Amino acid sequence: MYEEPGCFNPNKSMAEGADSGAVQKQFEENMKLSADELSYYHHNHQEDAAVSAMELEFQKHLAFNVKNCDDDPNQLLSNDHFNWNAGDIGINQDDPQQNGHRSFDINSLPQTADLLNLFHLPRSSLLPNSSISFSNSNHDTTPLGFIGDLPASDSTSVWYDPLFHLNLPPQPPLPPLLSLSQGGANSLFGDERDSSGVTAYQDGDGGMLEFTRDTACIVRGSETGKMTKPFTTERQKREHFGTKFTVLRNLVPKPTKPDRASILGDAIEYIKQLLSTVNELKLLLERKRCGIERSKRHKTEDDAGGDVESCNIRPLDDPEQSYNGSVRSSWLQRKSKDTEVDVRVIDDEVTIKLFQRKKIDCLLLVSEVLDELQLDLHHVAGGQIGNYYSFLFNTKIYEGSSVYAGAIANKVIEVMDREYAAVPPTRSY
Amino acid sequence: MDYKSKNLVAERKRRKKLGDRLLNLRALVPRITNMKKETIIEDAINYIQELQENVKFLTGKLQLLEVEPFSEEEANPKREETNTVEDMKKCGIQENVEVSYMSGNKVQIKIIFEKKRGKFTKLLEAITSHGFQLSDTSMTSSKGATLVSFFAEVTYDGTLAVEETRKSLLQIVRSM
Repeated sequence: MYEEPGCFNPNKSMAEGADSGAVQKQFEENMKLSADELSYYHHNHQEDAAVSAMELEFQKHLAFNVKNCDDDPNQLLSNDHFNWNAGDIGINQDDPQQNGHRSFDINSLPQTADLLNLFHLPRSSLLPNSSISFSNSNHDTTPLGFIGDLPASDSTSVWYDPLFHLNLPPQPPLPPLLSLSQGGANSLFGDERDSSGVTAYQDGDGGMLEFTRDTACIVRGSETGKMTKPFTTERQKREHFGTKFTVLRNLVPKPTKPDRASILGDAIEYIKQLLSTVNELKLLLERKRCGIERSKRHKTEDDAGGDVESCNIRPLDDPEQSYNGSVRSSWLQRKSKDTEVDVRVIDDEVTIKLFQRKKIDCLLLVSEVLDELQLDLHHVAGGQIGNYYSFLFNTKIYEGSSVYAGAIANKVIEVMDREYAAVPPTRSY
Repeated sequence: MDYKSKNLVAERKRRKKLGDRLLNLRALVPRITNMKKETIIEDAINYIQELQENVKFLTGKLQLLEVEPFSEEEANPKREETNTVEDMKKCGIQENVEVSYMSGNKVQIKIIFEKKRGKFTKLLEAITSHGFQLSDTSMTSSKGATLVSFFAEVTYDGTLAVEETRKSLLQIVRSM
């Protein structure tokens, strides 16, 4: 039904340089915003709105002049249905299914429609008056009023909402609009792009430049707290929100799917893993410290006497140890594509269950890994079941070693995966 | 109409899933500033980074500690090793290799040897490099000794006599 546009990557283009990327950025931002709008409010009419938004933005780029406000609104409306299957472009991670086909041909868009045409469209209750009355940040609250109105909007008028949030002064409408939103959005993605917000269109317009910069600065400032409402448009908020998901994803070691729900799920699992690892490490440190103190005591007393004395000392340790810390225990399971590992640590014994999906005899490999991990193998049982290998390893941790469950599981899985990747399918050993 | 409602339901489920996960995330993170969607993610990012730093710090500390009690660690394995030989003697366990040919190319082999760290790995290496394909391997240790039992497919012609196989395996074990 819906396709992800393969050639279009708004995020990537955001990262491009200022020059020609500027125009496209603007384009993409607006399209993304329209996509965002649609995802939030209009599922049914998304294609129309998105396409019309795209078309509009593009026409703005092409037209550059805002004079013909009296153009036929009907024509613009007809554009709604022009190439509705062009669909949304935005990167919406949570609404991939809303992305339409990128089949529209930019060149074929009629050039008559114009920015100001938007103002005449049905939803004009939103716009023109309030936006025209703005000249700078003083009228902060008003655009937000628009935002409040958005949910009630119908599909045809949604696509010009993005522009209104930009809080642009009406004259000159087009260039400042482009650069302003661009400047605003750019501030989200890096300082180096601030200058790109000031496009060629603004040469003679010192006031506009300032305005743009102000916006950029303010939006940057609001990145942290989103406190300064006026210049933080809904779209910027959403974009910023979206990027956070990717940041979160990059933190997690093994992200599975790039959709928001999976990212959150992975993050939750990862946090739990980190917490258990931290706890284990703390416990190990605790035991280590006690062990060191005890051994110091041992040494001084051993020097004084022979073996008999050290034997006497040892029994004293046990009550101390149980007094000092709880019995260390941890349990975790990790999975990879072909391997499942279950690691249980109780005190100094580690039980590892290994389940492999593919037919590779890896006993030698695992044995080597266990040696590396300073685990003394006491018992192995298992073998091949159908196309799988299943093993149970009972091991003991070498004395003094401070390996923890997470490390064991990770190492085993890492080695297994490497082996699978390296082995040709017909390997007979 | 049907598609419309299916879509709606699906979308609602999707949103609910997202919301639930977000709440779970919020429950895990100790310090939440706002109850807003964005800030919880921000807080989660910070928390994860904090935890990662913590792990690094703790492992670093642990490694430092491991360097110190050097002499203590050296003493221990030796103590264990001598115990195994004694235990074996006490229980009358002897180093041994048993070979019995089964039908086809299959051989059942049992090896008993003194338990030492890493010896199992070495044994596996040696056996496989001699051309044995192992299946259904099991290993168990007790009283200072290790018993390894496995079936092997003899890759070359099964002309190798039982005794010869046994001897070569015994050689392997003794050389380890």
